[in-house]
Amino acid sequence: MQREYDLEEHLTRDELLALRNKRAGVFVFQVSWIMAFVCLVVVNWQLRFSPNWMPPGTEPVSAIPGAVATIGLLLSAGLVKRAVDAVRADDQRAFLMQWLGAMGLGVLFVGIMLVEWFSVEPGTQYALVFRFMTGFHVLHALAIGVYMLLVYNNGRRGAYGPYEFWAVEAGARLWYFVLVAWLLFYVVIYWA
Amino acid sequence: MAATAYPVSGFQEPVKRPALAEYLRWSIDHKIIGVQYIVTSFIFFLIGGALALLIRTELMVSPDEITVMADGVAYNSLFSIHGTVMIFLFIVPMFAGFGNYLIPLMLGAKDMAFPWLNAFAFWLLPPAGLLLLFGWFVGPAEAGWTSYPPLSTLAEFSGDGQTMWALSIHLVGLSSILGAVNFIVTIRNMRPPGMGYFQMPLFVWATLATSIIVLLATPFLAGALTLMLFDRVAGTTFFDPSGGGDVLLWQNVFWFYSHPAVYIMILPGMGVLSEVLSIHSRKPIFGYRMIALSSMAIALVGFTVWAHHMFTSLQPELRIPFMITSMIIAVPTGIKIFGWLATIWMGKIRFTSAMLFSLGFLSMFVIGGISGVMLAAVPIDIHMHDTYFVVSHFHFVLFGGSVFAIYSAIYHWFPKITGRMLDERLGRIHFALTYVGFFFTFFPQHILGMRGMPRRVAVYDPQFHDLNVLVSLASFVLGISTFVLVYNIAVSLVRGKVAGANPWRALTLEWMTTSPPPAYNFVGDPIPYEDPYGYGTPASQAYLDAMESRFGPPLPQEKAPETEKPSAQPAGD
Repeated sequence: MQREYDLEEHLTRDELLALRNKRAGVFVFQVSWIMAFVCLVVVNWQLRFSPNWMPPGTEPVSAIPGAVATIGLLLSAGLVKRAVDAVRADDQRAFLMQWLGAMGLGVLFVGIMLVEWFSVEPGTQYALVFRFMTGFHVLHALAIGVYMLLVYNNGRRGAYGPYEFWAVEAGARLWYFVLVAWLLFYVVIYWA
Repeated sequence: MAATAYPVSGFQEPVKRPALAEYLRWSIDHKIIGVQYIVTSFIFFLIGGALALLIRTELMVSPDEITVMADGVAYNSLFSIHGTVMIFLFIVPMFAGFGNYLIPLMLGAKDMAFPWLNAFAFWLLPPAGLLLLFGWFVGPAEAGWTSYPPLSTLAEFSGDGQTMWALSIHLVGLSSILGAVNFIVTIRNMRPPGMGYFQMPLFVWATLATSIIVLLATPFLAGALTLMLFDRVAGTTFFDPSGGGDVLLWQNVFWFYSHPAVYIMILPGMGVLSEVLSIHSRKPIFGYRMIALSSMAIALVGFTVWAHHMFTSLQPELRIPFMITSMIIAVPTGIKIFGWLATIWMGKIRFTSAMLFSLGFLSMFVIGGISGVMLAAVPIDIHMHDTYFVVSHFHFVLFGGSVFAIYSAIYHWFPKITGRMLDERLGRIHFALTYVGFFFTFFPQHILGMRGMPRRVAVYDPQFHDLNVLVSLASFVLGISTFVLVYNIAVSLVRGKVAGANPWRALTLEWMTTSPPPAYNFVGDPIPYEDPYGYGTPASQAYLDAMESRFGPPLPQEKAPETEKPSAQPAGD
């Protein structure tokens, strides 16, 4: 277990309040925005009753690539967590390695989902909803991935440390959101 | 916590109102942003009101042909834009404005948790409003504020204005979400020492409950709007049955947001009432905890009632559960109503303009609530669906409730915001005209609806003409009443009586600083009184006296009022 530095000792009252506010703000926004994903789950469920949902002869996409992507995303989120711990313990090398690994697994996830997106046969409501849901999710993964790349570049220049880690933590929290949103979608799209 | 004799730690010089230019540019001061919200939304109120008067003129002139408007399309656009402007660009942002101005002050904070985000959320509104209004010129939205498909999705029924409508509401929704994040974090993290959740002013509780609804419901609207935009511009068929879509999907998702949105529009008004009724009757609020928790109950139950808007299209077996939940939500609302009545009971009521509008809210909102319970009953709803009864019901809630509360808030907090009192004589004239104009505009619509007049029509059965003439004439009185307020504001800003820091002798923290407050709000950390509504006790008297020894009398140009005697009434709880 790496040692974390005592923020209470080092930061002023206003800085601590700002950090608490940022953490709470990101969490509250995530609670809100996950509802947009829940909305699409509702769309998925309601349109399943459409006669054009999956006409005879149409096959749903295989669950295996989705499972591989999910495992990749889970591992990626784990690495992100370790990277945040590393930067808070001032272990720059571990931080950069784990952050880079997380991004690599993120690229794998996005790549698999893009293949899935293009491979589904169009013309049915199933395909429309599948593409909309996965596309919506991948857009979030890409946007947050770009942010993670910026964090990595700044990290290489030594921008983060035990008292300057909010940008890293924010990236991690956003990446967890990508994971949670995906787990919600994965169950509905592939299993339900 | 023991009563504290000194609400503030340092001395504050009186400050001047910010210059006009401050309000016209980017600012991260929550007070400037609050005023920006309030003024912008009031301008939209005037626009929405003008559209309403055009509707009423059309309905008054001739029942059996379109005379004032160019054609039916123009009439459809009129009520569509009227509803959208009033809901999304007036009521919702108006309360966001009061929240922005008041929440940090009520919590003794220097600003909101995220000042930059706060400014950004406001500056999304003007482009949203322009998008909506300019849509008129490119094939206006004409599917009503509810924008049901296929009217809203198929090109033959609606022009590019409908696309602009959806983009506009997207921007307003984003603004609301960012505002709600800010409110929740501010309320959670920035309360002063000594102010637990159950020492917060009830307006803060109401804003917290509202923000929770915004947070959880608005993304649904965002999702629905995105699908609508895809159907309109990308050729998808989410709502088009000919391509396998489902028109009822929109209704489900839209009302999952839009029924809770009713509480977004009324809960802050209820918060205003809790402040005004207690302060202007010099009584502790009755049932503080119940009123606070009933806001949360409304927020929660509000998510279980959306399908009562779909009784005519819903599977029959789902009607009864939604009927029951829709009736249950009247219970926490009733708790508030009885709490307020008990608060003013035997109080030393001052019939100020703020108080009059709050009492007006009580009477009118109850009528709207009762007609709401009537509509929650499936047999009645099926009979009344899409008639003027529904129009009357929601105007009793949203005008008789929200707008009366907004007027009350303007009279109550204008002195704090501007350092000047509004003219009370003009305020009473404003109230009388509004009350009478409102009642005769909307009450007869119950009768029209019960007799079968459908809503959203420009041409109707001539048997309804007489009542429509009465309604239209009353609506003109209502329109005129607004200009009494505008005149009052204009005159009072220049010649109004100078307001002290605490003209109403209130106990909440926004009054423990100068009027208007300085940019930093407070010198040091203000110390809240143990009970924000603990009027009529020696301890609260001492707190107010200490406050006045720092900031001067309530109305510096007038003789100081006699010291209040502690009330013989027991505390409300």
